[in-house]
Amino acid sequence: MSAQLELPTVAPFFADKPDLLVEILGRYPDYGRRSALMPLLWEVQRAERHVGEARIAEIADILGLRATEVKGVMSFYSTYHEHPVGAYHLQICATLSCSLAGADELYDYLSEETGVVNGETDREGRFSIQKVECLGSCGSAPVLQINDDYYERVTRSRCAALLEAMRADRLEAPWRERSGDTDVADPVAARADGSPSGTGGAP
Amino acid sequence: MSDAVADRPKPIVSRFDPRFEVTLYRHVGVAGSHTLPYYREHGGYEAAKRALTTSPSAVIDEVKTSGLRGRGGAGFPTGIKWSFMPPADERQRFIVCNADESEPGSFKDRYFMEDDPHQVIEGMIIAGFAIGATRGVLYVRGEYYLAYERLREAIAACHAEGILGRGVLGSSFDFDIILHRGAGAYICGEETALMNSFEGLRANPRLKPPFPAQAGVYGLPSTINNVETFASVVHIMAKGGAWYAAMGTDDSKGTKLYQVSGPVARPGVYELPMGATFRELIFDLAGGPTMPAKAFIPGGSSTPMLPWTDETLDLPMDYGSMAKAGTMLGTGGVIVIPEAKCMVDAIYNIVRFYAHESCGKCTPCREGVATWLPKMYQKLLAGLGTREDLVVMEDMVRNMRGTAFCPLADACAMPVQASFKYFRHEYEHLVDHGEPLHARRDWWSA
Ligand SMILES: Cc1cc2nc3c(=O)[nH]c(=O)nc-3n(C[C@H](O)[C@H](O)[C@H](O)COP(=O)(O)O)c2cc1C
Ligand code: FES
Repeated sequence: MSAQLELPTVAPFFADKPDLLVEILGRYPDYGRRSALMPLLWEVQRAERHVGEARIAEIADILGLRATEVKGVMSFYSTYHEHPVGAYHLQICATLSCSLAGADELYDYLSEETGVVNGETDREGRFSIQKVECLGSCGSAPVLQINDDYYERVTRSRCAALLEAMRADRLEAPWRERSGDTDVADPVAARADGSPSGTGGAP
Repeated sequence: MSDAVADRPKPIVSRFDPRFEVTLYRHVGVAGSHTLPYYREHGGYEAAKRALTTSPSAVIDEVKTSGLRGRGGAGFPTGIKWSFMPPADERQRFIVCNADESEPGSFKDRYFMEDDPHQVIEGMIIAGFAIGATRGVLYVRGEYYLAYERLREAIAACHAEGILGRGVLGSSFDFDIILHRGAGAYICGEETALMNSFEGLRANPRLKPPFPAQAGVYGLPSTINNVETFASVVHIMAKGGAWYAAMGTDDSKGTKLYQVSGPVARPGVYELPMGATFRELIFDLAGGPTMPAKAFIPGGSSTPMLPWTDETLDLPMDYGSMAKAGTMLGTGGVIVIPEAKCMVDAIYNIVRFYAHESCGKCTPCREGVATWLPKMYQKLLAGLGTREDLVVMEDMVRNMRGTAFCPLADACAMPVQASFKYFRHEYEHLVDHGEPLHARRDWWSA
């Protein structure tokens, strides 16, 4: 209850980052100072993998808000966390197109391998898992977002390789998936080549 | 019919019409296409330059001529929306780009921002000029990190070259863009929720009226459009409204991006003239389903599904035809549902999505979408449902229609209603036997 009083004395996050603070606040008009709330939360989330009580109080202070107001906004969104997520935050899209491409099995596999379930972080702070909603990558499903990056078309073998790479701390930047128009250089010509054309009905 | 009518060239309604060319998406997937030098080499910012030499009302007229309708889902005519802005006064005005893309099945806007961010910026400049807004807000969903980075670089490059800031492209028009990231909440795509979110408030939708043109961002006159709408405006200014209007059907003009996901040979984003058929998209471009299909969702998860028949596949993808078929074009995000997927489970997935995303502001949505409906589905899928439950569910979704504060509850209710309309037998099988007609299976490929 008295958490407020027992705050460990940590150095304020933005104290040694005056330029960053000025840059973020400067993005918005004077009357829109509160708009800086989300970017400030995000800076902390990214650096500390969560936004703790002390940071909430600090951000509230910067913006002239109450801590509860900051919390109210923070809790609205799924990408700010009260408790630290892992060094590898595994976000699995669980929505329909991904589910049709094996997202449920992908989740089961990762959960079993890492020993954590949705919403948890392992003891070492290495892996955390979060089921998320459509990531806007349905054409290259299933999608696994690791921290900021999308890993797309994560087949069973790709997933195993990714996990191995993370365990060895040598995860590589994602491959780029593009599909649709950028795959078929010239769909008109492709059709002339005898590839599938409007035959209709179930195949 | 007079000769004049007979002589008019036939509108372009197929990708295979030799007059059609890929416009919006021609740079997506090309290495380096996100850079300013690449964009300028390919005629970038010429349309904005041209627009800035005319007048705001001339730009609005051109957009009206084009027949462009908003690509964010609702299809509201863009030129008309722009003309709703009140007469200019001393107040700041905003043009807002809705880049929150989160309707399941939609993924067209992301590729734009990652591979062709300047096209979006150019569209915003033109729109800003048309409505007299010197400031733009580009609200990109939090998960789109690469898109955010690319947009940030693009905006910085524009500042360095006098494309944004004071005197855009050598004109007397000042314009700048505030890039803002969301943080994972579907409701932020709803235009007034987006504005609240941008202002640092909880992203609950606002009561309308007042509409954004009267009181938008910070309570100031604002106009909001979708990413693809802005991209379309660039080409309308470059090639003319008439060029655009030569594509499509009576009520739906131009070229549009469609997305195909689910089990098809080549899922992805395809650009087609409006009025092309689902068959052309799903078979000719996406290579057809890889397993027997029983239904498809035409325009993102909220749009009522259609059964997989020759008639539905031959429907033209335009606003009017979709309305006649009892569904909507939405974002153009087509999801193919295979025969082997339990329909109750598929719809539960969608319901679960909306339940997760309900903001909790109003009762029908909080109690219906976020609480009772997912519970009913869980009961059915656990094999504990009864025929009476089905009646209760149908009644419940009926009562969710049109009663909530924003359209999110309808977005959840519509796919449920469509599933009952076409696949009630799967629900009945589940409650009668305690097991789904199509057993759960492993969908993950090796
Ligand atoms: C729940 C909900 C979510 C929405 N999500 C989006 C979205 O992600 N992107 C978008 O452009 N429009 C979305 N819209 C539509 C917007 O409210 C708005 O109509 C649109 O941005 C207007 O742009 P347009 O006229 O160019 O289509 C959503 C609407 C609702 C009700
Ligand atoms: S359903 Fe997973 S990215 Fe859209």
